[in-house]
Amino acid sequence: MQNLITILTSSVGRKILMAITGLSLALFMAFHLFGNLFLFVGEAAFNSYVEKLHKLGFLIRIAEFFLVLFVMSHAYSGILLWIKNRKAKKVISSYSKGNTSGAAKYAAFTGSVVFIFLATHWSTFWYKFNFDLQGMSYYYVVTESSVGFGSPIVSIFYIVAIALLGYHLKHGIASAGQTLGVVGTKYESIYNNISAIFWFWIPLGFISIPIWFGFIVRVI
Amino acid sequence: MNINLKVWRQKSGENKGLLKTYRLENIDPNISFLEMLDILNIKLVKEKNDPVAFDHDCREGICGSCGFMINGRPHGPQKATTVCQLHMRAFNNEDDIILEPFRAKSFPVIKDLSVNRKAFDKIISSGGYVSTNTGEAPEANSTIIEKENADEAFLSSACIGCGACVAACKNSSAMLFTSAKVSHLSLLPQGKEEGKDRVTKMVATMDSEGFGACTNTGACSAECPKEIGQINIARLNQEYILSSLFSFLKSRK
Repeated sequence: MQNLITILTSSVGRKILMAITGLSLALFMAFHLFGNLFLFVGEAAFNSYVEKLHKLGFLIRIAEFFLVLFVMSHAYSGILLWIKNRKAKKVISSYSKGNTSGAAKYAAFTGSVVFIFLATHWSTFWYKFNFDLQGMSYYYVVTESSVGFGSPIVSIFYIVAIALLGYHLKHGIASAGQTLGVVGTKYESIYNNISAIFWFWIPLGFISIPIWFGFIVRVI
Repeated sequence: MNINLKVWRQKSGENKGLLKTYRLENIDPNISFLEMLDILNIKLVKEKNDPVAFDHDCREGICGSCGFMINGRPHGPQKATTVCQLHMRAFNNEDDIILEPFRAKSFPVIKDLSVNRKAFDKIISSGGYVSTNTGEAPEANSTIIEKENADEAFLSSACIGCGACVAACKNSSAMLFTSAKVSHLSLLPQGKEEGKDRVTKMVATMDSEGFGACTNTGACSAECPKEIGQINIARLNQEYILSSLFSFLKSRK
């Protein structure tokens, strides 16, 4: 057991933990988007989908527990590594130009923005859906209410945060492939092809919702 | 050609350093970079000044002794080239050239451009060895090794341990160096004996020596004078996962 703790708290171990939690969360995003797209089908379809999820009861609570656990351990490992890396680089008037890609360089920053977004996401949508509907339909909360895309500020923040999440995943998914040792095996090209779904198409799917309900629907 | 050098001068690790400007005139563009520094040092000694300290040994690009930052890049502007193999023709007349030591907490400055890379030796001694007998070269075909593995192991073994990867990395991570050593040994049958805990030992030493963690930015491979690839890091990670699982299952028994 002691062995396992030593291994998991080493720099590589922490990164493995980040890779596994990160990929799990990316997979969850696909599932989350599947539900969100019912908004385009229509009000009744979306409401009944949310109702169905609610009927699962404690299964949803267990899933939520793991999601929060994953987000927290992903962020915790990330912060610890960030501090370690900061300490290791002794910067004294260095003229280094650096050749790091933006997605990699700003992963900690974009991750922090995503975390703030998640906090607001839970305190608005999640809280309303579970405890504070006040007679509104789920569809109405998302598309019309002041915590939803009825407010242009919420819509813009949502679009920016999801775009940054995509940017975060661009580095994150490639990085996870390297950490989990996919790179250099015959699965590498399949992995890279699938990764674009997660860092580009899924975030684009999420962004399409505030763009449609927050702006386009209101103009036409 | 004439050049203006800005060289990092630091008496010792305890002293503060600063950049000093030196002008060299009528430098032959076909001399090597280190020969140019030799000319500078001869000049400094003649003027009864302290010569610039820098590491060098073979000057053939195979020992890993030389290395410092030239205009913010480890080993200078030329791809896959150590400082000693770099020539003045890579620069232009009247260029400003900034020389700094490799910057990392784990590489404390000894003097001027010379840094202490003992941390690398510690990583090696914690696992970068084989316990098979050495001695005379064995019969070539006595141990059959697949061509692919032999080639890959050869590429990894090209690492000269100069420390450019650490200097290039924004986190001062030693992952490329460590992974090259791990790959080199784990790909060959002679390395299998210690294979199970080599990687965990070397990673533990790497962490305790204060190197940062890899954030997969690829800066190290881009600057490596021996073009050690990112695949080595992936291989280290694979080895690490397998060895962790192995030691976990062993402790369960």
